[in-house]
Amino acid sequence: MTQQAPPGSGGKVSRRDFLKLMAAAGTVMTFAPFVDWGKFLPNPAANVSERAKVELPDGSQANIKTFQVNHSEAIIYPKADDPSLNKEAFRTWQFIRLPEELGGNKNDASAFRVYSMVCLHLWCLWKYWPEEGRKRGECPCHGSMYDPLTGMAFAGPASLQSPPSNVLPVLDLEVDNDGSIWIKPPNWSVNGNGIVGFGRYIT
Amino acid sequence: MVVTLHRENSLVRFLRWAYAGVDRTIFMALKFTFPSRFVSPLGFLGMLTFVIFIILGITGALLMLWYEPILDRAWDSVQNINDTIPYGFHMRNIHYHASNAMVMMAILHMYYQYFSGRYKIRNEILWVTGVILGVLTILEAFTGYDIIFSERAELAISIAASLTNSIPILGPQMRDAFFGSGFHDFVLRFYAFHVFLLPIAMLGLMVVHFPRFLVFDVPMVMAITGAIMLTGGVFPVEMGLKFDPNVPPGITVPEWYLTGLYAFLRTQYDKFVTGVAWPGLFIFSLLIIPFVDKYKKFSWKDRPLITAVGITSLAQIIVTTYWGFYIDPNRTKSLLERLVIDPIFFYIVMLLLVPLSFGFTYMMIKLAKNAEANAKLQPRKPGGKTAINFPKKWIYIVFVVLLAFQVYLNISAYYAVLNGMKNYSLFIIGIIMLVFAGMFHIYRHGTTMARAPPPKPTTPPTTAKPMPSAPKTVPPVPKPTTTEPLTAPPVQKASSSAQVATETSGTAAAAAAAATPQTGASASSNSKTGDTTNVLAERSSTTEVHKK
Repeated sequence: MTQQAPPGSGGKVSRRDFLKLMAAAGTVMTFAPFVDWGKFLPNPAANVSERAKVELPDGSQANIKTFQVNHSEAIIYPKADDPSLNKEAFRTWQFIRLPEELGGNKNDASAFRVYSMVCLHLWCLWKYWPEEGRKRGECPCHGSMYDPLTGMAFAGPASLQSPPSNVLPVLDLEVDNDGSIWIKPPNWSVNGNGIVGFGRYIT
Repeated sequence: MVVTLHRENSLVRFLRWAYAGVDRTIFMALKFTFPSRFVSPLGFLGMLTFVIFIILGITGALLMLWYEPILDRAWDSVQNINDTIPYGFHMRNIHYHASNAMVMMAILHMYYQYFSGRYKIRNEILWVTGVILGVLTILEAFTGYDIIFSERAELAISIAASLTNSIPILGPQMRDAFFGSGFHDFVLRFYAFHVFLLPIAMLGLMVVHFPRFLVFDVPMVMAITGAIMLTGGVFPVEMGLKFDPNVPPGITVPEWYLTGLYAFLRTQYDKFVTGVAWPGLFIFSLLIIPFVDKYKKFSWKDRPLITAVGITSLAQIIVTTYWGFYIDPNRTKSLLERLVIDPIFFYIVMLLLVPLSFGFTYMMIKLAKNAEANAKLQPRKPGGKTAINFPKKWIYIVFVVLLAFQVYLNISAYYAVLNGMKNYSLFIIGIIMLVFAGMFHIYRHGTTMARAPPPKPTTPPTTAKPMPSAPKTVPPVPKPTTTEPLTAPPVQKASSSAQVATETSGTAAAAAAAATPQTGASASSNSKTGDTTNVLAERSSTTEVHKK
């Protein structure tokens, strides 16, 4: 601090204080480039820039002409070369063709849904139950239930969680001329496709 | 330790030379005391915690040779350690039980320091680093049982990640940064935290946390190690089920030091409040205790409010810990119904514990003060009585309880034999170490007795009784207890002759202890209990010198 009171110069900064400010700003700016290095910590592998096949467990690509209404399969996305990584629960998604009453008969991508199978409550793997009277996603662990149309939890502990943790992450689909179904590149954020194990906001 | 070296051979010369060299290092700032008689372990629980930390370091390093922190191999590699690697079972069990023992020791250590008020005398830094160390210890134990990647571990990881997520604003980024994405990353990162990041942080904090006076009591260290092995033999840790995301997990509860937190989570209240804010508040209030506690005296009896708060926290910890474990055994109810704790009931009980604990504290202080006053009224009994004087009835009761315990141990050992002897050998090693501890203690006691001069009838019992708080056994010295600790830090106490002798050389210490056992004993207890007993210990030593 200055030993003497600064001259009454009406809000002017003294030379010493100005230099101190410069030094502080310089220090901050020196270390500012390192902030971006924090990106070392998150895993970038989930970023996919190209569309990917919806690959069914038998190895074939899902096709709009053959996939039954009110039916579901577990798929792996993004698929890795390492088989042990493909066992990862966070890469398992439930590929659902909606039941008739929810528009499963349509011959476009709107008849299909892909939700992360990781339950938003405690990360068990839920699955779709096509039986009459159920037709919903159910988690075996603590009974959370998911609406297949939106992916929103409507019963059980997951439904009690505040947004975004009550809506399942989703993948966007597109159908080509052959009827093959593809997964569009996702945007892993709560306002986009959601974060696996955490959820998303319904937009 | 009574070791006398008569001859000066080359080995002794080398040791002397090395010892002189150590003089240039920071280790000389630490005053190690090997007590020459029994001192209450409550005073050096911290040292015991550190010893367990070292045990964990050694067994953990050995386990690292076989453990594979990979999603689909972690559990199998632990199974390999447990079932096929020679002595892998032993390593794993010692590691597991030592981790529990370390958490337990750390908690006991903290509460002893809390109730005896030892954070007051410029020990605030020690207290604050200690609380942080305690939190890191629990995190260390938590990451440890997660990297087995059993069913329970997965649930624990998911709870930890969802709690991190629930932190406002930065939560999701923090989760991404610390946990990565997906189970594969989680296992690998928890491993990195468990074997390197957290221990190195703990070691760094320990440098700040260690006081200058340390007590290394060989029998007690042996007993603790033996107890850990014995527990490993009697209750070998299970493998748990390998995690399979397609198989619904059974109901699992976390380790006992986290069930309290789990009980809060089970109220299904907001995750951030129950899982982050409450424990955070608890840790924060522990951190600021030395700055809130303005009482001038140390004893728990003289700090009613602080003691009441401590008792309340203990009561709440015990109740929530039990509640977290308790699962409605009625299997006809739905899983959720059995798991969820009614938040209103739960929080009402938590609140009710506050006045109950305050009332309990009030009663205890009243009783203790009454007992103190009564003791003062009655004429002091002449010396020469043994440290332990139970009524006969109690001796019988203790004997029966010990016998029952022995029967129980025998049955456990029998089952261990049936299970292939592995834990039986651990059990036996534990027993051997405990017996060694007992023998060492008796030997030490015997040598002290043999060298003791005939008992002086006027010697007051200083710290012979293993009572919860040291000041309790000390007759209240009105003036010095209040002024002494503030003016005289423990550094100056090193100038007392016996203390210096203990530090400078083992032989001299042995000689000093042999010459004046009372002084040696009080000097060791001096560094143990810090400052309240210092006054008395010093006085007794000076009187002894006078008598000579």
